[in-house]
Amino acid sequence: MNVIFLLIAASTVVAVLFLAAFTWAVRSGQFDDDRSPAVRILGDAKPAVNSTTTTTTNPNA
Amino acid sequence: MFVMSYRSTPPDFCHVQQHIAQKTTCFHCGDACKEDHLRFDEKDFCCQGCKAVYGLLQESGLCDYYELTEQPGVKEERDTTELRPELFDLAEVRDKLVEYSEDGITRVTLNIPQMHCSSCIWLLENLQRVESAIIRSRVRFSEKELSITFRESQLSLRALVELLRRIGYAPLLDRAGEKSGKRGAGVPRMLYVKLGIAAFAFGNIMLFSFPEYLGADGSDHLLLKGFQYLSLAFSVPVLLFSSTDFFTSAWAGIRTRQVNIDQPIALGILALFLRSTADVVFDIGPGYFDSLAGLVFFLLVGRWYQAYTYQALSFDRTLSDFLPLVVLRKRGELEEAVSVGDLVQGDHIVVRDQELIPVDGVLRAGIGNIDNSFITGETLPMRRAVGETIRAGGRQRGAAIEVEVLRPFQQSHLKRLWEEHAGASAAQRPAMPRIIDAVAKRFTVAVILISIVAGVYWAGRDAAMVWPVVTAVLIVACPCALALSMPFTYGHTMRLLGNRGVFLRDAEVVERMAHVNTVVFDKTGTLTAREAYELRFIGRPLTADEEQRVRSLARNSAHPLSAVLYQALKPVVTDAIEVEEQAGQGIEGTVRGSRVRIGSALHTGGMAAPVEPGEAQVHIAIGGMYRGCFAVRKRARSGMANAVNGMQGHAATHLLTGDTNVDAEVAAVFNPDHMHTACSPVQKSAFVRDLQAKGARVMMVGDGLNDAGALAQSDVGMTVSETSAALTPASDAILDARSLDRLPQALMLARRARRIVVASLGLSLMYNVTGVSYAVAGKLTPLIAAILMPLSSVTVVGFVTLATYVTARRLWRKEID
Repeated sequence: MNVIFLLIAASTVVAVLFLAAFTWAVRSGQFDDDRSPAVRILGDAKPAVNSTTTTTTNPNA
Repeated sequence: MFVMSYRSTPPDFCHVQQHIAQKTTCFHCGDACKEDHLRFDEKDFCCQGCKAVYGLLQESGLCDYYELTEQPGVKEERDTTELRPELFDLAEVRDKLVEYSEDGITRVTLNIPQMHCSSCIWLLENLQRVESAIIRSRVRFSEKELSITFRESQLSLRALVELLRRIGYAPLLDRAGEKSGKRGAGVPRMLYVKLGIAAFAFGNIMLFSFPEYLGADGSDHLLLKGFQYLSLAFSVPVLLFSSTDFFTSAWAGIRTRQVNIDQPIALGILALFLRSTADVVFDIGPGYFDSLAGLVFFLLVGRWYQAYTYQALSFDRTLSDFLPLVVLRKRGELEEAVSVGDLVQGDHIVVRDQELIPVDGVLRAGIGNIDNSFITGETLPMRRAVGETIRAGGRQRGAAIEVEVLRPFQQSHLKRLWEEHAGASAAQRPAMPRIIDAVAKRFTVAVILISIVAGVYWAGRDAAMVWPVVTAVLIVACPCALALSMPFTYGHTMRLLGNRGVFLRDAEVVERMAHVNTVVFDKTGTLTAREAYELRFIGRPLTADEEQRVRSLARNSAHPLSAVLYQALKPVVTDAIEVEEQAGQGIEGTVRGSRVRIGSALHTGGMAAPVEPGEAQVHIAIGGMYRGCFAVRKRARSGMANAVNGMQGHAATHLLTGDTNVDAEVAAVFNPDHMHTACSPVQKSAFVRDLQAKGARVMMVGDGLNDAGALAQSDVGMTVSETSAALTPASDAILDARSLDRLPQALMLARRARRIVVASLGLSLMYNVTGVSYAVAGKLTPLIAAILMPLSSVTVVGFVTLATYVTARRLWRKEID
């Protein structure tokens, strides 16, 4: 029966780790913008169609 | 007489996008195309700008832009983007925007109000495909901000801004400066952390408490004790971190000798913690830690719900956000950019098409065609000849003019107009009695009295019961449900109104709106539309043939009145040749063999017809013969009559206008005694003050700088706006111009929301009375507290949510009938 103390301690540690992860996620700004990350994933998969032709340098520079 | 209206701006309130099905719409921006629109790559485009953007994107392989959202583009809009690209070369502007710059790599944060959909995000984050000097670009959609990292050695900041403008996302300068680096309004990150910790503690402590509630026997004593101490440990961060807001607010109240709702809450939290700790340490019982964590969690959920605001909208867009920071000063042949503040009397400045005139001055060269919509809401431009004075705040339309500075910016008319209500922001409005404050006061007194009486009673009978009973009263009387009903009711109301085009600064505005019994409207730009006109021809009607000639010629002019004519006339155009435009006078050209002149009376050889107030005239001569003139006047907004009539029986309505006359259409819906013409901005604000002195709660509905004083003076200031980049001084609310007719419903919903709050307060008081009756009898076990507390919170939140939505639905349905 004493093993339950070990289990409780272990599960508490795990729970605290998750809390720490959540806190880190909030502080690093992951909850600031809930729209653009969802869209970001749509575009990134496709490689640039003709990226070689567009690497022109800017005339104003 | 024929009537037309058009909108030159795309619907850019992202919450109320309306897609109107048209015959042919622009592939890029979705606007309706005229019959002579451009075709390119088998697609329709409404203007050269849209086609150019498509071309650029196609070249860069970015046509996915059009697949994510249909017709996502933003039409080039000159109104809101008066900032010159040169501006971004200046050190002071650059310093404001640049976050860091090292080894030629620079990161800037720009405010881009036009972004509104998934395609926008996608395109703006793939800018490196358009321009290789861009390393990375990231969107923060909720704040409409774009952070770009780029190689400044290859691409100047100015060139970057020009690129953005080319694809239709011209940055605004206003807020970007102050905001870069820190987070703006909205839900603070710390609140999420506090909420997370409270939720964590709540969930775990509840599990730890179950064995106790389910009647664990004495054999598990060690286990139960362990759970109790774990609960205690988890409660410490809840007390010391998650609930700090309540303690600081309660303390602030004590220091200013004011009773607020956070005082009984703070008292309750403290009582919960001390009592529970004592129970556990002295082995009296399991304590109320689950109730403590639950209470803080629910309260924080309420705070979080209330903290939501429309971050993308600016409710205090003031004068300095709009004035050009830099002007072109002319010295001899030399033109140089100088800061507006450095201008002195006698300087000559050059003001180009669509630019704001920042100082009072005298016109020295060119023809002034001044649009004062910024100040008055009136968009029809006024002509000014050389030698005439021009007041600051006007916008030049047409060819560049040269203006001699009369007085420095600090002394200009515009600056003084602004300073009359300087510092008057919506945050400093006269306090209004909030229900919650009135209730909190009585509630706190009652709780303290009850606990003292109970304490004294038990002291006489059983001294050992004093501590448990007093703490139990403080615990159970903690007004959690009370504190939740307002944030949720007003938060729901705010979101419901937002869906209907009425955007509130924050949830508290709902309560202010509920008190309003007088609504004051501005006329020009508020009840009349900015760019919708009514035309009437004075003279023998034009034949279709003549109309075609006029329209063909009008197409060649950039003058706003020509644009109105072009839009209003129907026939298909032909080419006009030998077109000459005399700035400020008119245009002439040959269409199918005959010479056509459009413009002033002088230009066409006609006679100026008597002008009605608010009317502009366009005279027509064809083949050397004067044909008559078009009288152009602004039209009232479509929902205007509904908006004003709908107030009847609910609130008194008044009309304030700077004009000397009120057009019949508007006059018809107001009581003649309630129409006040020829009001200066100062008089407008004085009028609102007088109404308030007579006990009225005033909502001012206006736009433009001339209403700024009245907006700041009123109890609720509401700005009517067609674009999200409009001037919104001291506003509590922004009303999308297309939702004008929904104003009465908005007011009604606010009032009913207040009633819902009152009803829910009654409900939560019932719970408190039940709880207190247990407490004074000394029978409040942790189990009862653990059931009662969440139950009251959940039922109150459920009740207000249901009631608000049902009420709103009934109101909207009534509107349809």
